[in-house]
Formats: sequence, structure tokens, C-alpha cells
Amino acid sequence: MLEFQCGSHPAFEQLFARYRGPLYGFFRRRLNGDQRAEDLTQETFVAVIRASARYEPRALVRTYLYSIAMNLLAAERRKQFRDSPPGELAPEPVTNHAPDAALWIRQALERLDDSEREILMLREYEQLSYAEIAELMKLSVNTVRSRLFRSRMALKGYLEPTQKVSHAVTAGDEKESVKLARAEGEAI
Amino acid sequence: MNKISHPIEPEELMAYLDGELTANRATATAAHLGECAECQSVVAGFRGVSQNLKTWKAELAESEMPQAIATALAESRPESREVSPAHRRSWREVLGQHWAILAWAGAVAAVLLVMFGTVRLPGGDANRAFTSVASQMGDSGSDRDRIPLRESTGPTSAGKPAETVLLIAPEEKEAATGHDLVSNGPMIIRSAQLSLITKEFDKARANLEAILKRHRGYVGELKAGGGTGSGRALTATLRVPADQLDATLTEVKTLGRVESESQSGQDVTSQYVDLQARLANARNTEQRLTDLLRHRTGKLSDVLEVEKELDRVRGEIEQMEAERKNMSNQVSYATLNATIAEDYKAQLQVVPPSTSTRLSNAAIEGYRSMADGVVSLALFLLSNGPSLLLWGVVLFFPARLVWKKVRSSFAA
Repeated sequence: MLEFQCGSHPAFEQLFARYRGPLYGFFRRRLNGDQRAEDLTQETFVAVIRASARYEPRALVRTYLYSIAMNLLAAERRKQFRDSPPGELAPEPVTNHAPDAALWIRQALERLDDSEREILMLREYEQLSYAEIAELMKLSVNTVRSRLFRSRMALKGYLEPTQKVSHAVTAGDEKESVKLARAEGEAI
Repeated sequence: MNKISHPIEPEELMAYLDGELTANRATATAAHLGECAECQSVVAGFRGVSQNLKTWKAELAESEMPQAIATALAESRPESREVSPAHRRSWREVLGQHWAILAWAGAVAAVLLVMFGTVRLPGGDANRAFTSVASQMGDSGSDRDRIPLRESTGPTSAGKPAETVLLIAPEEKEAATGHDLVSNGPMIIRSAQLSLITKEFDKARANLEAILKRHRGYVGELKAGGGTGSGRALTATLRVPADQLDATLTEVKTLGRVESESQSGQDVTSQYVDLQARLANARNTEQRLTDLLRHRTGKLSDVLEVEKELDRVRGEIEQMEAERKNMSNQVSYATLNATIAEDYKAQLQVVPPSTSTRLSNAAIEGYRSMADGVVSLALFLLSNGPSLLLWGVVLFFPARLVWKKVRSSFAA
């Protein structure tokens, strides 16, 4: 990024090649429409180019890119909220191999709290660290960790509805459910 | 299930999988996982969730760089980072979306400004700083009104006179007010010219120095002199703080009769802003070149080229910095060219010198002429003696021969 700030176009091309796919996935999983995700990916890079003079290496480039992407996503969601009637905002499932699994996953994710879903997706799909997620979401690292734990446990319950442990999981008592499972194991 | 048999919390197991535990804690967790089947099942559950999530793929086919990005990249030359219409539109959108927040923030800022301004204006230092800035903006008409206010300002709470606040070096004053001036109003270089005639020249000169000291000014240049048949004259270039120029002028005028007076002001705001912009650009360039040197490796010739460019940019920065300081100093300190001439009165009664003085003068003159004669003779002998000696030796024998012949002929 610093090289690009100094005028190196090959540096930007490298940046583009590395982050184009992940950014597209970021938008595609959160928005309706393949084309819109691609447009927002482009807008993210255009914003990076235009703001390169003001760039300061205070965080990782990845965090910087996703912070721009999150701002664009928030603006897009506000725009969609104004322009579209409710009920049309959920993204369509996108998959190349297993549409049923993707639909299943998507429905399970939709049942999560917004903040917990965002943290989980940033961790699982964007592979961001707890500290990076905390910086992007303006939360403490401990909050990120606890919410991530809650969301994973809840998602596990949604994805495995027949298991006893999963049934016991709710948004507020994940730890207790795990402890219960452990206790059952000890009793056996 | 208790903490003794499971020293690792489920949340820590998750953090362990994510690689977010410290080394010590990760080692302990790994050790526990090796012997605890329940925790292994919890970890397996987390892994299962991650694997299930990975089935939702969103991949983009490989393609060329989109035209919009290529265009933006082409326009992103460091020297021409102009805001494109699309970018302006996005700002309008952002402003439109946040108009309520912006309006609220603006209202709060306005209220705070009014509150602090109202509370602090009657005080000493804040009012003084405000007055200083306002006066340097060229508001000469109100300076006379401000003088009584300054003089009536009492000691500060620390017991020191409030005037000490302004007794700072010119450079510090410039640093404190130069940027504020640009942001708050025009920068004016003020100058004045004053010509006086006074009957008491010595007193006027002493008073001039006192006035200068009182208004914290200094003498830039001073020439004093006078000849026979005319009065003495003093020409001085005085530098006084810009906000003190009118007060200084008023006091200097009391030193004599004003023959001529003029004042002028030059607005250098645009030059100053331009200079600051060029300075900022040069500093950015310097930073980039420094980063290049620090982070990039290359051929020695490339490194030397960058070093050379860095030297050139640094030279420009120093030159512009000096220019900026000079301009700030000129704005902060006004120039007063003062000419004070003595009202000349011709001496009608010339007193002749006394007899003793005349005798003394004659004796001194006589001694001086004698000494001059001796010195002249010595100089003549030293310069012409060798030549005279040579010619004497050469002409001695012929002259003697001739003399003998003449004597013999007379004798015969």
C-alpha cells in the first residue's frame, strides 16, 4: 500500500489481485445480486485509489480495505432500505457446488443476531483476527470473542437440530450447554 | 463437570482453534485436549461449524482489471489528485445521508463557540491573543481604541503584569499566530513613513528610543549626522509589532512637527497560503522519498538518484521555510521609516579665539612645520642620495681635471 502511495501501479495491481476475490465474497454474501457485489468491489478499490494520498499505515491493509468495504456496505444497505420495500433485502444464496448446503447455511445465519452474524462471517469467511474484527466493529476484543462464541454455539445448534446439545443452545446459555454436555460425558 | 476436571473454558477452546491464545495458554489447552474427550468433542463441534460454513462459496471468475479502476488508477498521479465528478457525487450522497448528524454537530459547535467566546473574551490572555490577531489582520482603525484597554488591563492571577504575555520572541509569536492569521483573515504587511522636525534633537532621539522600548520594537537601521550650516538629522528604520504601529506613530508624532506622513499595507495572504501548500507538498515528497530509501532496495545508481532528489527537495523545503518565516515576521512586525531633523538656527555671534589659544596654535604650527621639514629632507636624501653619490663620483675627476687646466691657464 505504501508503495502504491508512492506511485507504484504494480503494487496496486498486486493488491487488487490479492483482495479482489475476498472483497467480492464479502459483498456477495451480504447483498442481493452478483453485479452489485462486483460494483461495490470496484468502488472499494476506486476509494482506495482516491484516498491513497491520505493513507496512514496505522492498521493492516486488509483491515483498511474491509473498513472501506463495510462503509460502502452500510451505505448500500441504507440505500436499499430507502428504495426497496421490506422483505427483499436478504441475499440470494451463491454457490458453485452445493446449493442446498448454501441455503441451509444462509438460513441458519439469518437466525443469528446481526452483530453476532457479522462477527462470525468476518472470522469464518474473511479470516480476520479478533483484533481486526474488534477494530472494524468498534468493539473490545473480549466482546468479539464472547459474541463469536455465542454465534458459533447458536449456529451449531441450528445446523444440528437433532442433537441434544444443540437443542439446549440458545443465545444466552451456550457455556452452560457445553458444560452440560461435559457433565453428561463424565456421568457416562 | 467442574473446573478442576476442565481447566479450559469452552471459549478458550474456540480461541485455541482460531489461534488467538497466548503461547502458554495454547500449550496448556493442547495438553488438556490430548487427554479430555469432552473437550475434543467441543472442538470437533466448532470445526464442524466452520466446515459447514465453508460450503457457502462466493467466488469471482478471473478477469482483467475493470475499466473504472484502471481509469481511477490512471488519474491517481500524485501531482494531480483532483476530485472527479463521481467522487463529488459520492460526497454529496454521504452528506445527504448524514445531514442530520452534521446539522446537530454544527449546532453544538456553534453553541460551544459562543459560550467559550463570551466567557473568555473579558479575560486577560484570551482577549489579548484575540486582540493581537485582530490587529495583525490590518484593522488599523480600531488600534487606538485598544490601547487604553491594554493599559487598563490589571495584573494576572499569578501577580505578573499581563503585558508579559506578549513579551515573546518574534519567532514564537509567528509560530503562535501565523497559521491562525491565515485561517482567520488576511495577512497584511504594514509600513509607515514619518518625517519630523524638532527643536530639541537630543531629547527627541532619547524619547524615540524610549517609545520603541515601550512598544517592544527594535531598530532595524539608524543613521544620524549633521554638517556646518545645517541642523542634525536622524534617519531610522524601526520595526514594531503590527498591533503597536498606530500607538507608536501617535507617540512619535509628539516628538516634533510632522512634515510628512504616509502608511501602506500589502496583502500577502494568497502568497502565504500558496507557500504553505507548496511547503506541504514538498514535505510529502520528502516523506515518500525517505520511505522509498527505507523500504525499497535497488541498484546503487537508483539509490543515488533518490538521494539526489531528496537533497533537492530538502533544499527547497528550507528555502520555502525561510521565506515563510520572513513573511510571517513582516506581517507580525510593521516597518516605520522615521526621519527626525533638527530645526537649524544660524549662529549670529561668533566668538574669536583668545590670545593664549592663538599662541598655542602658532607654537604647534611651528613645531609641526619644522618636523615636516626634517622629515622631508630625510625623505629626499633617502630617495635621491644614492643617485647623487654616483653622479658625484663619476663627475669628480673630469671636473677636477677641468679645474686644474683652468687654474694653470689663469696662472700662465
